[in-house]
Amino acid sequence: MKAESEFTKKLISSFEKATEQKIISKGQFLIKEGEVEKHLYFVVSGAIRVFYLSEFEEQTIRFGYKGSFINSLSSFIKETPSEFYIQAIRKTTVKQISKDSLLKLVNEDADSLRQYIQLLEILVTQQIDREIDLLITSPYERLSRVLQRSPQLFQHIPLKYIASYLRMTPETLSRIRNS
Amino acid sequence: MQTTNNILIDELLHIVESTTVSAKKFKQLSDAQLKFKKSPESWSVLECIEHLNLYGDFYLPEIQKEILNAEKVPSASIVKSGAIGNYFANLMKVKDGKLKKMKSPADKNPATSELSVTTIDRFLKQQELLKQLLLQSRTVNLTKTKTSISLTRLIRLRLGDTLRFLVYHMERHIQQALAVHS
Repeated sequence: MKAESEFTKKLISSFEKATEQKIISKGQFLIKEGEVEKHLYFVVSGAIRVFYLSEFEEQTIRFGYKGSFINSLSSFIKETPSEFYIQAIRKTTVKQISKDSLLKLVNEDADSLRQYIQLLEILVTQQIDREIDLLITSPYERLSRVLQRSPQLFQHIPLKYIASYLRMTPETLSRIRNS
Repeated sequence: MQTTNNILIDELLHIVESTTVSAKKFKQLSDAQLKFKKSPESWSVLECIEHLNLYGDFYLPEIQKEILNAEKVPSASIVKSGAIGNYFANLMKVKDGKLKKMKSPADKNPATSELSVTTIDRFLKQQELLKQLLLQSRTVNLTKTKTSISLTRLIRLRLGDTLRFLVYHMERHIQQALAVHS
């Protein structure tokens, strides 16, 4: 989510004014499976990942770094227990606002509402891109699609988490990166 | 060992119930308590549990696969142990609440992995899967169905023995984990 509309600017400035700031150290969690997501977070510094835990592995599904909005979205929308964990990859500072504050901002005027919908539309298309990513068999193509969307990914995120995001082993990822 | 599917599965389900309860209690411990080691060589609570996860990673998909292809039988059917399977299962079984020290294979050593409270969550998910597999096993030929084992590719054990081995092994290490803070 990085579209610079009036609404995102307004959202960022309301985050800047937000007093609720959290500093989490590496390996700590913003939310765990089973808890209900009550906040939207804005990453001030550091890096975090959203993952799903199965019987056999942690499957990374999303990253956040400086400037990202992030949370356990379906839990936030439906107010049901989160299916995901959000964990700091390194020491991370986030600002948080509650669902109520967000909705207040969204419903302030017609423009805000329209731009909020635009933001959600971007998110929907991102999810579709991600769905296609996961259907592509070639590991090389999976990587290049992701790099096109987020060229700076390797600067922010350690390789082993990118490998998990791409559903490949870290060995495969370094091999195709070097070829 | 000779018994019926029903009796064996009930016994194993009972153990899995109690290890699940213990694992849920571990979730209330602090990070420091979960990582505490009585001595440098002994395992922390999280290491005991990760050790079980590593076994689950191998055995659960293997058991799942074999159940799919297994012959269906009535749940009152007789199940018989094989000589080697019975030996391994009994080796793991906790006798009189005492744990004899054993050496684990190097590839199942948890000391090198990154552990957190998700280690316990993963274990609880594996327990759920194991429970489902035990319920399915009630009406499967536990004597004729064979599974691979993690130690060597040279032998395959009867499913009944593999289930006993896996569950007794789990009971053993959950007791070890409980002993860390007793």
